[in-house]
Amino acid sequence: MTYFLKRFAHMVFVLWAVATILFFMFRTMPGTPLAAFIDNTTTAEQQDALIRQFGLDKSLGEQYWLFLTNALQGDLGQSFFFKKPVVEVVMEVFPNSVILTLTSLIVAYLFGIVAGAYLAWRRGSWVEGFGIPLVLTTRAAPEFWLGMVLLAFFSFYLGWFPSGGANSSGSEWTSDWQRVTSLDYMSHLALPAITLAIYLQGLPLLLMRSNMLNVLQEEFITMARMKGLSTWTIVIRHAARNALLPVATAFALGIGGAVGGNVVVETVFSWPGIGRLLVNAVAASDYPLAQGAFLMITAVLVIMNFIADVSYHFLDPRVRFATR
Amino acid sequence: MLLEVRDLVIDYRSTRGRVRAVDGVSFNVPAGAIIGIVGESGCGKTTAVRAITRVMPSSAVFSGGSISLNGTDLVKLSERDMQKHLWRDIAYVPQSAMNALDPVWRVGRQVEEVLVARGGMEKKAARVRSEELFAMVGLGANRLSDYPHQFSGGMRQRASIALALALSPKLVIADEPVTALDVVIQRQVLDTFATLQKQLNVSVVLVTHDISVVAYVCDYVVVMYAGKVVESGPVADVLDRPAHPYTMGLYNAFPELSGDDRELSPIEGSPPDLLDPPQGCRFRARCPFSIATCTQDPPEHLVGEGHIANCHRATEAADLRETAKRTETWVGVTTE
Amino acid sequence: MQHAKEIALPKRETRILSSISRWLVAASTIPRRDPFAFAGLVLYLIFILIAVFADSLITHDPREILFNDEYDLASNLTPGGDHILGTTYSGRDIYSQLVMGTRGALVVGVTAAVCVVAIGTVVGLIAGYFGGLTDTLLMRLADIALGVPFLPFVIVLAAFLNPSQWNVVFGIALLLWPQSARVIRAQVMTLRERAFIEAARVTGAGPWRIMFVHIAPNVLSLSFLYASIAVGWAILTEASISFLGFGPSDSVTWGYMLQDAYASQALGRGQYYWFIPPGLCIIGVVVAGFFISRGYEEILFPKLKD
Repeated sequence: MTYFLKRFAHMVFVLWAVATILFFMFRTMPGTPLAAFIDNTTTAEQQDALIRQFGLDKSLGEQYWLFLTNALQGDLGQSFFFKKPVVEVVMEVFPNSVILTLTSLIVAYLFGIVAGAYLAWRRGSWVEGFGIPLVLTTRAAPEFWLGMVLLAFFSFYLGWFPSGGANSSGSEWTSDWQRVTSLDYMSHLALPAITLAIYLQGLPLLLMRSNMLNVLQEEFITMARMKGLSTWTIVIRHAARNALLPVATAFALGIGGAVGGNVVVETVFSWPGIGRLLVNAVAASDYPLAQGAFLMITAVLVIMNFIADVSYHFLDPRVRFATR
Repeated sequence: MLLEVRDLVIDYRSTRGRVRAVDGVSFNVPAGAIIGIVGESGCGKTTAVRAITRVMPSSAVFSGGSISLNGTDLVKLSERDMQKHLWRDIAYVPQSAMNALDPVWRVGRQVEEVLVARGGMEKKAARVRSEELFAMVGLGANRLSDYPHQFSGGMRQRASIALALALSPKLVIADEPVTALDVVIQRQVLDTFATLQKQLNVSVVLVTHDISVVAYVCDYVVVMYAGKVVESGPVADVLDRPAHPYTMGLYNAFPELSGDDRELSPIEGSPPDLLDPPQGCRFRARCPFSIATCTQDPPEHLVGEGHIANCHRATEAADLRETAKRTETWVGVTTE
Repeated sequence: MQHAKEIALPKRETRILSSISRWLVAASTIPRRDPFAFAGLVLYLIFILIAVFADSLITHDPREILFNDEYDLASNLTPGGDHILGTTYSGRDIYSQLVMGTRGALVVGVTAAVCVVAIGTVVGLIAGYFGGLTDTLLMRLADIALGVPFLPFVIVLAAFLNPSQWNVVFGIALLLWPQSARVIRAQVMTLRERAFIEAARVTGAGPWRIMFVHIAPNVLSLSFLYASIAVGWAILTEASISFLGFGPSDSVTWGYMLQDAYASQALGRGQYYWFIPPGLCIIGVVVAGFFISRGYEEILFPKLKD
């Protein structure tokens, strides 16, 4: 329990620290936040009114305090561009990022775990000799480039998949759930998810392989052989079960990292997610929105790190039931 | 005779060449008897007994000999046929029970696993049987729901013994079962072996480097050195009237399990490199009684009823024994 | 979750020169032991040579908009003739862009790697040697750096500062040092108990001297290991940033080429000769770094063979 609390406090600390850095970064950057609203015709009075409206006349310290208290109440300000609360804009697109991340991660991890276990089983063979460099190559390719290649071939050339967005334009849906589970959505999701999955599978694969190799050396595996247990039981129910522990943690960490890292894939496929929102907000100098999107991405990252930490603690019976 | 090992030869392939870890080892295991295999680390005892289960590292090669279990030569069996004997006829208690159990499975589940998968039992019956097994080794049934790391060293060892007995095997191989335990617990565990032998008529092959363990609980003893058997026979005979200089030296080198004070005199030097073993008797370099003929392979000499020694000077054993009792005999042997 | 690696550390201290010479010897044994690492080294060498001799290797000015004989825009030409890899939508020679991009990639990659590893090593040395409050503070700082999403941060950085290649270097240096810092810190903590450090302390050497003159050479090999991976990371990041449109518009990098291709609908037009080569080059440099670090890691942390 104390471990849980300690890690929770740590998580809050990091969140606060990053939010603070974020705040000061946005406020002290060159370029006034009002640039989007001011042109030659804006009078000095109107400028003053705008400054007061956005609270820019107050001291930096006051603004910071306002920022923190508002953020804790769920108010991240108003988007310059959309003229709507930032939280609203962000939450519209956040689910899309989550779906993309989870889909790709699950595919990547399922494949990686199985392939990693297999490579460990085939240690020393040519499969391993060429398999590993191949996996390393998938990690070396820029994700957006993979996306571009897939897009060019499977979408533009073969026409099997749509070339962008999350839904075909002009389509109508009765509910969000129906929209998300429709075939149309899935066909849009396919290419970006595959692209990300190709990029992401390297980590679970190499991790699983490494863990399996270690576990297969352990005494209890030899004992399992001596007991005459079947190969399936030994490799899957004992070895893999042990080797899976760190991979499960990596999965949680992966969620945290992927949501922010999906930026480029979302851009290639025009996938309406939070990463793309951030890019557009930054390009349009929509500071509140950019800040809000960034904060959201950070929150996911830090929270998932925390979950990963705590879950490992509970998944490993040696830690959970420590007697001495 | 339950188990007969004849002229067993096992090599290990290594980057430096073939190491002959077991070179023509023979011994018998009668039903319901406890056999001690004693020798220094690296003498091949672990390899020899693990070979009985045929579960070896991938670098191990069976290069000759036979292992007969009730007449069936285990070496010649296919993997599938061998698997039938595993755990049902031959069980194994490992050296360090530290890692011998899966750390993420509850102990009870691991016992039940063997009972169900290899014993064909129903889950409920398996549960009952696992409680029985634990009771047999003095562990409470409540311990079945614990994880391995929650057990102490001695408890883990007893759990391993319980596991080994799960399918009522005829033969249990125990590799250094008490080495990692303190003296008091050692006794408890060895007593457990003795009790089980009497109650269940199980044969035990107990591998150890500590001759006092052999003295405490074994019926027969096989002394190994550098991949070969140097002496074997009933425990009382071999320990009271050792016929091989190595056995004589071993006895001097260990304190009695019963706690008597005895002057220690270790055998100087170290065993030969098995990559390139010496000609003739392998103990020659460290033996205070070696003579010129020792450069030739020593013959097997029958010293008493069921008691053999592989030494050129086995006929003089009685005199050599007297000399061996003196500590000075063993000093400066390797520098001569 | 991280296993403390069993490192083949020298029993006695090493001075910088002997450390470097040891490293060179180790580097020369790689070709025999690991063919992929060898291939990586060769690949790196090729890229370095291309970057150095880029000026002589290009056929046209990468930024020059070209026209054909009839004064029409030499746009979207397929590979052949004057243009080995064809031209872009705006009439620029692709091959020359590719060659020039090598320079940009390596400059950014190496600079970023050096910066992040330098910071990581120094922080690791200080935190590991002094321990206590200093260590706690530095590790908290590391936690914060790890709590910031990497790519979004560099995007914001690139958007607010003037677009330049150094934004990527800056972002990487600020956020990616914790990885190497932690590992080096662990090794320093093991090392500081060694006899030769005790000896240095006894002879009156101050902590800074001990850290940088006595301990540092022994962890340098670890630093190089991380540097070789960091180069790849930097190049990938630069490519992503350029692709998103936040990169410098004056210099030609592989990322810029990919952004240009994408924005010019090269995908729809099936101009594979335009956007495949830059990607392959990126893969080449990054994977070469992986292979080298993998081969070198075998030497530093030899795994027990069966």
